[in-house]
Amino acid sequence: MTVANIQSPPAPVPTPIVTGSAAHAGAREEKISVRNLNFYYSNNKALKNVNVALYTRMVTAFIGPSGCGKSTLLRVLNRIYDLYPNQRAEGEVLLDDTNVLSPGQDLNYLRARVGMVFQKPTPFPMSIYENIAFGIRLYERLPKSEIDTRVESALRRGALWDEVKDKLSANGLSLSGGQQQRLCIARTVAVRPEVILLDEPCSALDPISTAKIEELIDELKNDYTIAIVTHNMQQAARVSDYTAFMYLGELVEFDATSKIFTSPVDPRTQDYITGRFG
Amino acid sequence: MTNLYRSRRRRNVIVLSLSIGATLIGLGWLAAILGTLVWEGVSGLSLKVFTQMTPPPGSDGGLLNPIVGSLMLTALAILVGTPIGILAGTYMAEYGRYAKLTMVVRFINDILLSAPSIVVGLFVYEVMVAPMGHFSGYAGAVALALLVIPVVVRTTEDMLVLVPKELREAASALGMPRSRVIQRVSYQAARAGMITGVLLAVARISGETAPLLFTALNNQFFSTNLNAPIASLPVIIFQFALSPYHDWQRLAWIGALIITMAVLALSIVARALASARTATG
Repeated sequence: MTVANIQSPPAPVPTPIVTGSAAHAGAREEKISVRNLNFYYSNNKALKNVNVALYTRMVTAFIGPSGCGKSTLLRVLNRIYDLYPNQRAEGEVLLDDTNVLSPGQDLNYLRARVGMVFQKPTPFPMSIYENIAFGIRLYERLPKSEIDTRVESALRRGALWDEVKDKLSANGLSLSGGQQQRLCIARTVAVRPEVILLDEPCSALDPISTAKIEELIDELKNDYTIAIVTHNMQQAARVSDYTAFMYLGELVEFDATSKIFTSPVDPRTQDYITGRFG
Repeated sequence: MTNLYRSRRRRNVIVLSLSIGATLIGLGWLAAILGTLVWEGVSGLSLKVFTQMTPPPGSDGGLLNPIVGSLMLTALAILVGTPIGILAGTYMAEYGRYAKLTMVVRFINDILLSAPSIVVGLFVYEVMVAPMGHFSGYAGAVALALLVIPVVVRTTEDMLVLVPKELREAASALGMPRSRVIQRVSYQAARAGMITGVLLAVARISGETAPLLFTALNNQFFSTNLNAPIASLPVIIFQFALSPYHDWQRLAWIGALIITMAVLALSIVARALASARTATG
């Protein structure tokens, strides 16, 4: 019985194996294309020559063991790493043909198009209504009645409306963990982004909340391109159309979810999925 | 029960008794101070104290001019010192958190925080009173503001740093510009702590005497002119307590009681605010 040799990295950097339907570039439109991305935390290289694509209105899951760079990759896509010094990215990330890594990129505009939901639910210290309205007011000057409608539709999309419609003025922090995370998703959806990035959104939640959010992702993908980082392989298998397996900062394999989980090509993918390491 | 265990128990009882004794001694002094203040001061408290000017020795009077003077000086000092302190604290916590400059500023701020207030008073004397040619309430307010700034900088920075970075990231991820993130998210989250900081600064400067001796001096008569010497409670207490006149000495006790009660009330309000926030947040 061979145990996956996880100590020695492969000598040459292998090109990621993109097979099957994902290889037909013309078949699916690429919303975000990542080309030759290298990312550094000070002098530590966290992402090595990553090439991957997020297809329009599809859910792409990023899986891999801890520290493999999946969250780092997500954080490059909306340049949230820019908030911290000593973190830099090299390469190209094309959002509809504009390179978001270029120095002239308007970050606030980028983040309005590419929304992000974090692992820890973070409602703002204000009322539930204000949490949602806050984002809307950043970009649009609307009369109160319109904002009311937008807030309601965002909360409905977040599968939260029925639970909070009678207490919109209650503090966002008074909700349960699962509700807070749905509030964060509703808040992200309210500003009408094109892409939604989810960084382990369910890891702090109980199974019932997790199920609700997975249902939500299924509905949202009709209108938004979604990328989800998850530690939970079964979740990736449940919700995503495409899966990317990352390991030690490299993208090892990227393919349709059904293919990755049934007949992966790279032995490391096979070992991770069967639980040989993790 | 072994000998080792028994000796450990004995040692425990001894140290515990010593700790309780130390606490009682500390609290005892506090109780004694408050008790003396109340004992000496409360008998003289009346409406007269708040409505009549300081009297010449031998006559009846109140503490109106020092109370008004103190209020004006404190208000002006807070008005000047708080914005400077908050903005500096915001820079240190939000924009320059990882910068070398911030470390230097923090160090200097800590020095200023514990600078002897008489030194601050002398400095303002040299810089404002001497060139102006006369003592003034403005100089007094400036000296007090110089004592307010380090307190507010410290508490603002500490409270803002406590705001979890995930909250800022969530706001930035919506496309919110940095200034908005700070105003609507960071400040809101740190609000209770920042207000407490300002209240602490008020409590601190309410009792400062030394800086006022060189800047605002004193005034026997009722005045609201800040461009001239103005009375203040700490300085009046200083003057009256050292005098040989009994009625002046009684007024000094009353003044001391007023300051103590005001500071006590402010601290209680600050505590109540802080715990109210943590209850809902």
